[in-house]
Amino acid sequence: MDRDATDVAAWVAREAADDSAVRAEVLSLVDHHSRAGAFLAQPIVEQAADLLMDDEPLAPGARIGDYTIVRELGRGGMGRVYLASDARLGRTVALKALAPHLMRDPSQRERLRGEARAAAALTHPGICTVYALEEIDGDLYIATEFVDGHTLGEEIRAGRQPTRDEAWQTARELAAALASAHARGIVHRDLKPDNVMRDREGRLKILDFGLARIGVGAPDAAPRMTQPGTLIGTPAYMAPEQINGLPVDARADVFAFGVLLYEYACGAHPFAASTALATVARVLESDARPLASRADIPSRLADVIARCLQKAPAGRFGSAAELLGALDAAGADAAEPARHATWWRVHHVVITLLYIAGATFAWQIKEWVETPVTVSIFLALGATATIGGVLRGHFVFTSVMNYPRLTTERRRTRRPLMWLDGLTAVLLLADAAMVAGTGALPAVFALALGLGIALASLVLEPATTAAAFGDEP
Amino acid sequence: MVYDELRRLAAAYMRRERPGQTLQATALVHEAYMRLAGAGTPWHDERHFVGIAARSMRQILVERARARGAQKRWAGLNRVSMTDALAVASEPVVMLPALDEALTRLEAIDAEQARIVELRYFAGLSIEDTADALGMSPATLKRRWALARAWLFREMSGT
Repeated sequence: MDRDATDVAAWVAREAADDSAVRAEVLSLVDHHSRAGAFLAQPIVEQAADLLMDDEPLAPGARIGDYTIVRELGRGGMGRVYLASDARLGRTVALKALAPHLMRDPSQRERLRGEARAAAALTHPGICTVYALEEIDGDLYIATEFVDGHTLGEEIRAGRQPTRDEAWQTARELAAALASAHARGIVHRDLKPDNVMRDREGRLKILDFGLARIGVGAPDAAPRMTQPGTLIGTPAYMAPEQINGLPVDARADVFAFGVLLYEYACGAHPFAASTALATVARVLESDARPLASRADIPSRLADVIARCLQKAPAGRFGSAAELLGALDAAGADAAEPARHATWWRVHHVVITLLYIAGATFAWQIKEWVETPVTVSIFLALGATATIGGVLRGHFVFTSVMNYPRLTTERRRTRRPLMWLDGLTAVLLLADAAMVAGTGALPAVFALALGLGIALASLVLEPATTAAAFGDEP
Repeated sequence: MVYDELRRLAAAYMRRERPGQTLQATALVHEAYMRLAGAGTPWHDERHFVGIAARSMRQILVERARARGAQKRWAGLNRVSMTDALAVASEPVVMLPALDEALTRLEAIDAEQARIVELRYFAGLSIEDTADALGMSPATLKRRWALARAWLFREMSGT
């Protein structure tokens, strides 16, 4: 086997002259031996020590320091993620167990601590808070806020197109969260729909902020080609400079934001292709189809997204703060009230008039039947009419003057308004009972007014709001 | 039993391993032997134990590679490009399940050669230690190891 090839060929021809099959087999093996290179030369454990890692998941009820595992939530690049309860503070957390191979090196542990510390400094409501980096029995864990809800990725895959309002709202909430992190110099680097949760109250929260590099296990977040066709990371949301392994800054997040919003608005990835590599090629070279041609979204929002998707970082917004400013400006200028918002405004004006009618009539009733009860009802109705009128007036004002804020304002005041309407209706019914002894007509009028307001609140308002904005109030 | 001990030891090693140190399969096998021998388990001799340990290492590593979806990734690769030895060596985990199958075929033809591969590649034994464990001269061992590698390489590259 150590002799050179021509020698061996001659030797084989001499020794196995009468058996061509043996000769061919020997020559084939000799040929493969010369090409085998480093094949099997180095023992496998020395090359892939992490294969020996004990990767049994922790069972529910297992205790890790002060944490008790409730169940496994999933598995990511960093390792397994569990739902756990923290005995010290009695709160529920998401506990990420970091894979041992990520932290064998002390300098790597140090870097990891630094990143966790920086990530823990972020306390924006739109960012999932990092509570602690725990070292328990030589293993590292990151405890973060547990967000109960679903991811934007799931929302996109479910295939429901968002309304114009929802698209604005999602863009603003995400940009605001990103801006607060960028202001502290922290870049996400792996922003994607599966890293954004919508909690039970409908608020968005970005996960794994500042932790993306921990999963990669290298100081730079450059994608590594490990195998033809396999790219570590999430190439579909990476900015061109990130794919090329160049240094990244806040503008890479701005690019990822553009891809995410595009996908959220129209349900299709801007650079979709049949394979991961083809997608990467399109990210690097092709421009996305204009979003306005694929989804019913305000053209100004489409313009902002197009600027986020510029190939050259210098062509994008410099940071999420600039992006947020552009969104606000576009939203305020555009003031694109939805199609049926006029009827929605009429509704609010009419209800306000009904409040005034109710309060005025309560004054009249107090004149007819002057008891402490009727006086109190009049005063209470005056108060509810004032508060309700102000709130509904605020809606009409916001819809005309500051349209982008409207969804937030509507969400904030939905419940108080319903209680207010209920209270007004009950007060009017009580007044009807008080005045019943004096005459049937005033009683019937008060009764009708109360029922009318209650019905408008429970039936008409959801209908007009749905017609105007495509959602429930 | 050897299997369980190796698994447990390996996991412990992975946790407390010092930086800059490659994991030595031989050290792992040796420690497992010391523990099991100390526990009073009647082993014929260390050679016998090393053979079983090498077989266990093969099982553990192939199992884990399978669990990580190595098979699918291997099947997805273009076999023609695999004649490039560097490509194979660059990601050994991916080829483990296929190597395991090829090794089983080799076992049917020549069991001794399969043992050599287990000792050298999976248990990380040196030429001398492998020769000693199988009771042959280092020179003979070298030739047979080269033949086994060539045969497996041909099987794996599909040519």
